[in-house]
Amino acid sequence: MTIGLLLALSFVVSLLALAFLIWAIATRQITLDGGAAATMFQPGEEGHPDLDGTHLYDTTGIDRISARPVAVLLGGAIVWLIVGSLFGLGASLKLHWPDWLTHYAPLTFGRMRTLHLNLVAYGWLSQAGVAAMMWILPRIFHTPLRSPRLPLIGAALWNVAVAAGAAAIASGWTDGEEWLEIPWQIDGLLALAGVFFVVPLVKTARARTVHHIYVTGWYFLAAMVWFPVLFVVANLPGIHYGTEEATTNWWFAHNVLGLWLTPLGVGTAYYLIPKIIGKPIFSYSVSLLGFWGLALFYSQVGIHHLIGGPIPTWLVTLSVVHSVMMFIPVIAVAINQHVTVARNLWALRESLPLRFIVFGAVSYTLASFQGSVEALRSVNTITHFTQYTVGHAHLGAYAFVTLVMFGAAYHILPRLTGRDFAHPGLIRAHFWLVAAGFAIYFVSLSVGGILQGLAMLDATRPFSDSVILTKPYLEARSVGGALMTLGHLLFAINVIGIALPRRADAVTPVAAE
Amino acid sequence: MTVKDKGLRQRTAEHFEPWEMHRRVPLPVIWVAVALGIWGTGTLFHGAGSETVARAEKVQAAAEAVRPTDAPSPGAALFAANCATCHQANGAGVRLAVPPLAGSEFPASGPETVARILLRGIDGPIRVAGSDYDGHMPRFAFLDDERIAMLATHVAERFGGRPDGTAAPLAAADVAVLRKAADGRQSWAGGAELAGAVAGLPDQRAAVPASSPSVDAAVSGLIFQGRGQVWACASCHGDLGQGTGSTPRLAGLPASYIARQLADFRGGHRAGENMRVVASGLSDGEIAGLSTYYAGLRVPSNAAPALGGDLARGEEIALRGDWRKDIPACFSCHGPSGFGVAPDFPALAAQHPAYVAGQLAAWAGGTRGTARLGLMDRISAALPDADRRAIADYLASLAAVPAVATVTAQGVPTNGQ
Repeated sequence: MTIGLLLALSFVVSLLALAFLIWAIATRQITLDGGAAATMFQPGEEGHPDLDGTHLYDTTGIDRISARPVAVLLGGAIVWLIVGSLFGLGASLKLHWPDWLTHYAPLTFGRMRTLHLNLVAYGWLSQAGVAAMMWILPRIFHTPLRSPRLPLIGAALWNVAVAAGAAAIASGWTDGEEWLEIPWQIDGLLALAGVFFVVPLVKTARARTVHHIYVTGWYFLAAMVWFPVLFVVANLPGIHYGTEEATTNWWFAHNVLGLWLTPLGVGTAYYLIPKIIGKPIFSYSVSLLGFWGLALFYSQVGIHHLIGGPIPTWLVTLSVVHSVMMFIPVIAVAINQHVTVARNLWALRESLPLRFIVFGAVSYTLASFQGSVEALRSVNTITHFTQYTVGHAHLGAYAFVTLVMFGAAYHILPRLTGRDFAHPGLIRAHFWLVAAGFAIYFVSLSVGGILQGLAMLDATRPFSDSVILTKPYLEARSVGGALMTLGHLLFAINVIGIALPRRADAVTPVAAE
Repeated sequence: MTVKDKGLRQRTAEHFEPWEMHRRVPLPVIWVAVALGIWGTGTLFHGAGSETVARAEKVQAAAEAVRPTDAPSPGAALFAANCATCHQANGAGVRLAVPPLAGSEFPASGPETVARILLRGIDGPIRVAGSDYDGHMPRFAFLDDERIAMLATHVAERFGGRPDGTAAPLAAADVAVLRKAADGRQSWAGGAELAGAVAGLPDQRAAVPASSPSVDAAVSGLIFQGRGQVWACASCHGDLGQGTGSTPRLAGLPASYIARQLADFRGGHRAGENMRVVASGLSDGEIAGLSTYYAGLRVPSNAAPALGGDLARGEEIALRGDWRKDIPACFSCHGPSGFGVAPDFPALAAQHPAYVAGQLAAWAGGTRGTARLGLMDRISAALPDADRRAIADYLASLAAVPAVATVTAQGVPTNGQ
């Protein structure tokens, strides 16, 4: 009858699918059968925790082939992390030093904030995530990366596109939609680069020597399908206009987080938590629930950014419902990851990469719960258009995905180079700087944002009150952001240290990737 | 890796690849999932009403779209091509220069009057809606009979107060008769000659040029052109002081009240950055001139309820107050019908709701800064937000103030009521 009815039906279908899934799991319709399990383990080892390293699988041959693409991608990612952080810090400072750096258009707030977002989203997070995929997928498929030269071409294209996009934004040429600012002409290059990433990974998946795909593989393979579709559809020029454009905009912008960065972060955490601790994940059934819950419910979530906007109310209501339904997959992921960690807290003391990853995994749970609640109209009335939303966005994109990627980099790089980090103290300093910095950042913006929202709702107060009262919180945010940026610099120094051959065994310095 | 991490490496296997155990989904998770599913279905079901509302609005909008006044009829097209340049697209005319059609007595007397004027033009003084104009209108006899008929019918229906189109439309044959009668004759010599030919027009004989407030050139310049930082009053408050949105209506406010507000803005006592800038460029004499001008203006209301307030509740507070909350009736100070009590209590009737609600909120928040005796501070603070909107919307629904005007004394019906 109407699109509203069709979308409501889509929710009912999702519910039925979930109910079927729960039934199937409960009655053991979907489990590993004996044959599938046997392909993963040596005979006679199924079901036993591996504590003594007898699950022998020689990964050295696999890692050697993945090493080059992963190194190039991580190197590029870290460069953009530093540049993006500096723009973020600059934009933050400008909110309470409005007269600072105003004489040069590329350094005005509107462009610096946009540069920050695009550089960290496409330059850092996406590239670091692809690097993690390149490292982890061959390992869980027990086969070397296929076509390992293609990702090198892809990385070159991707970095050129990100740089060109940044130049375009700095010069004032944008598509004018949040998260889609890079002009679509340049987005074509990003999409092309994506092909060079996806093809080798799909070939590797097809050539896998295991029948069963570990949960990390589901997230990564799904992300490789979801993101290109999102990215191409949202960037096609001349299709969406007016409120439809805004709807598509937020459909894309929120799905970048939920269907691209989240699978990258969750998948990486799903691999590295048990990998570092040496214990298996809590439950295969719960993994299924978490993955399919995300797949079924996430795609409608973004429209809650348009609550109160001039779009059909049922569309917003559907989005609010889907946002709240996200509790299901998030609880599932939380059980699987946190139970495994909680039973092995000793590992947090011993492994610094694990600290980053567990910080990230916990942040995923918190960010998702917060997001579900924030989507409710009653809460959104206060928080919409305030700094609270900015705090929430950083809880997801920074405290979750970025910290997981830090952990992944610290885990991968020694295995990739065959060397240890020269300055382990810097890792510890990095962790505490970003943890403390983020805590300051998040608490100040959350408190300031709520006060700002309440002030805007109070008709008896002039609008300027809602701006002036945020100033101390914005200053605190800059302090937090500065600590985080300092941590990133230590990270980069450490990575340069491990990438360069030691003085003892090298004469000519090799540039860090 | 840290030194400690090396210890971890010995306890865990580098060759260990992650896998999953086969525990069942914990029962509470299923409960949560079921509860969320029920909640989600209920929310969607509950929200389904919004689509019904949207459909109803769509049907209503479609029904309104086919109303003759909105349809691009041939008459409307002729109006846009021939009349709108001077009389404005909305028929409001131009203050002091071109008489309005909206609210004018001439279209109201029927399409025939309009056709007579079109065929001969006007050259002489004319009084329209209580204001006098030096009438100069060219003849439109070059339009053929059918076009004159359509145009005259359109103008009479649209501006003559019969939007339902019950007036008998003028036929081309009738125009031919009128054209024959007008043939060879000069333009109408103002309203007086027209009034002799057409019944039901306002008294045109005693044309008093000063029926609009007398304005000296300096004040008129301030109102319509501005001067330096003092930008034109009319640029925000409208050419007749009618105001819009959060810009208040000035027409008909007591002169002493307007003067005191300007002085307060100038002295920084009343908050408002735009008005502070403007008022600080005005001399005492100019303030007096402007205040007198606006106090004497008489303009029909252009305000309408816009804040979704409860009109019945607004009326209750305006007429009787709410003594449970120590709120007196608005009209006990601001006069019957909210027409104001000079010199200190401004008119509230026909004031724009966004402005009234904004000022009530500013008093409640202590940011307006000019409450005498703390009267409005305390009253506004006692009003919850919904009541502030209710009052503002109710006041906007009232007729405008019948301001002091020279014509009133001569027995012409006031204020177009």
